[in-house]
Amino acid sequence: MNFDITAEQQLVKDSVARFITDNYDLEARVAASAATPGYSEDHWQTFAELGWLGLPFAEADGGFGGDAIDTMLIFEEFGKGLVLEPYMASVVLGGGVLRRAGSDAQKETFIAPMVAGELKLAVAYSELQSRFDLHDVTTAARADGSDYVLNGAKSMVLNAATADHLIVSARTSGGQMDKDGISLFLVPREADGVDCKGFPTVDGLRAAEIEFKDVRVAASQMVGAKGTGLATLTGAINDGILAIAAEAVGAMEVLYKDTVEYTQEREQFDHPMSDFQVVQHRLVEMFMEYETCKSLLYRATLESAQDAPTAQRTIHALKHMVGKAGIFVGENAVQLHGGMGMTEELRIAHYFKRLLVIDAQFGNSDHHLELFAA
Amino acid sequence: MDIELSAEDLAFQSEVQEFLAANAHTPDQDYMQWRMDWFAKARKKGGWDVPKWSKEFGGPGWTPTQHYIWEKETAKGGTPLDAPFGPGMLAPVLMAYGNKEQQERFLPDIRARKVHWCQGYSEPGAGSDLASLKTKAELTADGKHYIVNGTKIWTTIAHMADWIFALVRTDDSDIKQRGITFLLMPMKQPGIEVKPIITLGGAHSVNMVHFTDVKVPVEDRVGEEGEGWTYAKGLLQHERTGIAGISRSLVALEGLKHKASSVPRGNGTLMDDPKFRAKVAELEVDLLAVEFTELRSLASASAGAAPGPESSILKLKGTEIQQRVAKLTVEAGGIYSSAWGAVPAGPGFARGGMSSYLASRAYTIYGGASEVQKDVVAKNVLGIKRSK
Repeated sequence: MNFDITAEQQLVKDSVARFITDNYDLEARVAASAATPGYSEDHWQTFAELGWLGLPFAEADGGFGGDAIDTMLIFEEFGKGLVLEPYMASVVLGGGVLRRAGSDAQKETFIAPMVAGELKLAVAYSELQSRFDLHDVTTAARADGSDYVLNGAKSMVLNAATADHLIVSARTSGGQMDKDGISLFLVPREADGVDCKGFPTVDGLRAAEIEFKDVRVAASQMVGAKGTGLATLTGAINDGILAIAAEAVGAMEVLYKDTVEYTQEREQFDHPMSDFQVVQHRLVEMFMEYETCKSLLYRATLESAQDAPTAQRTIHALKHMVGKAGIFVGENAVQLHGGMGMTEELRIAHYFKRLLVIDAQFGNSDHHLELFAA
Repeated sequence: MDIELSAEDLAFQSEVQEFLAANAHTPDQDYMQWRMDWFAKARKKGGWDVPKWSKEFGGPGWTPTQHYIWEKETAKGGTPLDAPFGPGMLAPVLMAYGNKEQQERFLPDIRARKVHWCQGYSEPGAGSDLASLKTKAELTADGKHYIVNGTKIWTTIAHMADWIFALVRTDDSDIKQRGITFLLMPMKQPGIEVKPIITLGGAHSVNMVHFTDVKVPVEDRVGEEGEGWTYAKGLLQHERTGIAGISRSLVALEGLKHKASSVPRGNGTLMDDPKFRAKVAELEVDLLAVEFTELRSLASASAGAAPGPESSILKLKGTEIQQRVAKLTVEAGGIYSSAWGAVPAGPGFARGGMSSYLASRAYTIYGGASEVQKDVVAKNVLGIKRSK
């Protein structure tokens, strides 16, 4: 039994933590979020220089051979700063698809430049009607000679408007809810027939609605074998869940600690609020949620890194717990901060909003409980 | 026991329904014009433009049951926007504790929605513990003015208001509830500075208000010096019905079911999803009970009795229910609830759902945080005494 991280992992963790402390105060984050493109391109280049963008990829693919534990460590620190840069969209999801199913040529064309900070990806999988079901796909890819022609729409696509290439799930066969017959395509965002409208989300990040009208892509742009896209996509989304859960744990840590501090400073009824037992117990409950989420995060991440047969189920358990706990911790941080908790001036409002979105991202708490119980 | 409304109350209910239906806003009407016309017509009905006012001052002088019916019917919509501070909060204080000159000076403009008021109660150091407020009002040597210094916070629409009614400290030698005075001040004057506070949903409705040597004529004090706390508490009695927002929650719950029925889920909709359906059902069960808690409270009020112990839980349960409706609406919107820009994404209700949910987090904070309300129930209703 050993929960220690390696010296190398510690270095990565420390360097991300230092970066957050130096660059990610609330004011800087709010300013970057409000401006175009919604994050700092300079930071993104720094991520590349520090080698963070290549961490989850094998050395043969142009990466640095890290695993799920490295990604977890990075995202826990990201969660403490509410990082805006599109690491999730490009490296975890886009990279997650390519490293699983990309051809050698695709890996060469996309992974190495992405690691160098020269190219960004986004994965377009969700549709208006699909809610949280990855296999609910109506976007169609019709074969036409040696090309495919894409028609349909994707919704709430993370960081799509600043991506160079989109990875799009589309039907090459089967009906709307069939698990077979989904294929993945690399589509340049600026290809003819792609209409991508970006917008902010409540947590200060960016998403986009995308329409595909007779978008022509070469068959060589298909990622993985025809009709097998769901398994690849599920794998990449699993990576996404592990990463976002780590981010949530980082955000919960900030929230409970800020609240512990605030309730000791704030006086009402001639006492610091922390004198009241009802407040103490609530703080302990927040802390307990944080610690249990962290345990389940470690469990799911280790099982996933070891490819354990239980990993998928534990990932569902994790996403269920993190969604619920995140909202619990967020709501109580606001409640115990009173009116101040309702303002944009304090950072807790921003962490709370991020945790709300984290619950809905990649399937909410109820959705994953259902899959866990199935 | 009998839960039927009397024939008179039923007749009143129909009359309200007819009035609201006949005067509902239509898309072709200019909103502000319709609003003023609506108030004029409501006034002709016998003071329906100022439901909380007594007959003596031109209000309808309704019974508690009539107030309840009004709340229930207007919750379904159809009444114009109306900030509560003037007509609903200050006016009852002026009627009860103001002098004739003040009543004649302020009430007509409040009723005409010509002069807008805001409420200066909370301070940075005085939230749920409101009585510890420190904004200072010192009488000048000639006894003609107060000089006010201090800061108020969470002042809704202070940036748009013409006047503020505020609680200020005129004496700190006694227990903190004493020595609080109720003052009226014009907002547009040197010495009053309003700073916006942006809340969770990005909206600007509350403010910080700084007072620096603001000179207030003693004529603009309501009632006696040092008795402001009593007046402010007296005002809360006007909040006896409707405080828990139950009528609005009942309407919102139906809205939630409707919204969830529009969200596709597999071959059906989200309302066919057993887990979501169960959560909506649990909420409905609680609402059935709380609705009757309000009716029990109403019945004792109608009989002229003091509020029973059941009324003490209304705000606690009612605000919690409002928050749960808002939360389930966000859940129903799924990932679309996080869309926040000008680009439309997902079902139309999703965006409004997130704003309402974020705003709803304040319901268990303002007007006394729920934790503090529970302390009050423990002490006043359960009779628990603290040992030393």
